[in-house]
Amino acid sequence: MTMDQLINSVKSLPPAPKILPQLLELLNKDDVHVERIVDLIALDPALTAKVIQRCNSTSFGMSQPVSDLSVAMACLGFNEIYRIVTTVILESSLGKAQNGYGIGEGQLWEHSLVAAFSSRMLAKDLGMDENIAFTAGLLHDIGKLVLNGSMEGKLDQILEQTEGPEPKSLLEAERELLGMDHSEVGGRVLEKWKFPTAMVSAVRFHHAPSDARPDEQLAALVYTGDLVAHMIGYCHGHQSFAVRGRADALEILEITTTDIELLSLKTATLVSETSWFNPATP
Amino acid sequence: MGAPSLSDLSLFEQKVIVGVGGLAVSTNRGERITTYSLGSCLGITIYDPVSRAGGMLHAMLPDSSINAAKAASQPGMFIDSGLPALFRAAYKIGLDKTRVRICVVGGAQILDQGGFFNIGVRNYEMLKKILNEHGLAIEAEEVGGLVSRTVSLNIATGEVRLKTSGQASETVLTKGYLS
Repeated sequence: MTMDQLINSVKSLPPAPKILPQLLELLNKDDVHVERIVDLIALDPALTAKVIQRCNSTSFGMSQPVSDLSVAMACLGFNEIYRIVTTVILESSLGKAQNGYGIGEGQLWEHSLVAAFSSRMLAKDLGMDENIAFTAGLLHDIGKLVLNGSMEGKLDQILEQTEGPEPKSLLEAERELLGMDHSEVGGRVLEKWKFPTAMVSAVRFHHAPSDARPDEQLAALVYTGDLVAHMIGYCHGHQSFAVRGRADALEILEITTTDIELLSLKTATLVSETSWFNPATP
Repeated sequence: MGAPSLSDLSLFEQKVIVGVGGLAVSTNRGERITTYSLGSCLGITIYDPVSRAGGMLHAMLPDSSINAAKAASQPGMFIDSGLPALFRAAYKIGLDKTRVRICVVGGAQILDQGGFFNIGVRNYEMLKKILNEHGLAIEAEEVGGLVSRTVSLNIATGEVRLKTSGQASETVLTKGYLS
């Protein structure tokens, strides 16, 4: 089966989140009326209801509950609303168990969200676009939803690949066993969903940031966010640490090992302060 | 060994969870102290088989000098501040250093020859350094590798169990100590 056939055959992928690329586009315009954004979200009443519900959760510090999207937008700002919309759209599909990878219910979502938090904070520190970093971080493993079925029953082969005399990464093991890996599949999914090229590239190369030129900075952000999520314990499934260390990611971002430790600390603190973050069952 | 007391039975076991950067000590025989999904963090358990005082630390980073304020507010985040804090808390409830049994779990490592991202290795090195300075040895460990782990300590017996991510069953790292 070709990659596109496989992507089309998978039922667990969320429906194309058309609204996200459109919102990202609006974000980058200087003169956007709040009504345009509200109208776009309001096209989906179920989404709107969930977004308002989350806005009213304690962590956002609203003085009184809101029932209207434009009021929420005025209180929290467009960036916060954008991130809430993104998490609400992706939570249910990324929250499903991925048995082929040994990932239980809620665990891929938890990992993706922590990687998104971390990528976003690093983007902020480096003066890069926080929303793009957050979204790319959230979507970096979307390819695993496509490959999960094909990975079922292959644990022995995965262990053989990752624990041999010349240990392969999980990504290389996927390529060996399936002829494709979750990063290239994820990039293709985002391309089909019409996400900006930089995000497609960052997801496609989130394990090899230098190859993402000219978008290597975003890819390095996502790579680093992904690794930090692993290190601080939001990592699940078989051989989840079979990831290659990439010194080039540090060079691209001009950061050091100490910066990685500080980012780990900040990410763990943010997670502990986020009231709607529900830890997955280990 | 006599019949187990009521509090030894797992049916009545109380679970105490230690979060990232947290620590807990106990002499309550009904308790099992657990910490989840260690990643490259280290889970360190200490136990005195005579006084039955035990404790656990879930430390994320090796060296507190990168953020002294955090080390003051949450010493368990770092190995070098968390380990002394764990022992100090355990001494207060009757743990004796000469009898202490130490187990270490976690410190997963990525495939990183340059060591740039290997916090797991640095955590373990810091732990060994401090233990050596105090003449303390590790009784049992499961450290490194490509997997995340969960670890628990049974206060009644000193038994340490661990679970590896992606696998359903638990294994016993240390069987515990009969009275």
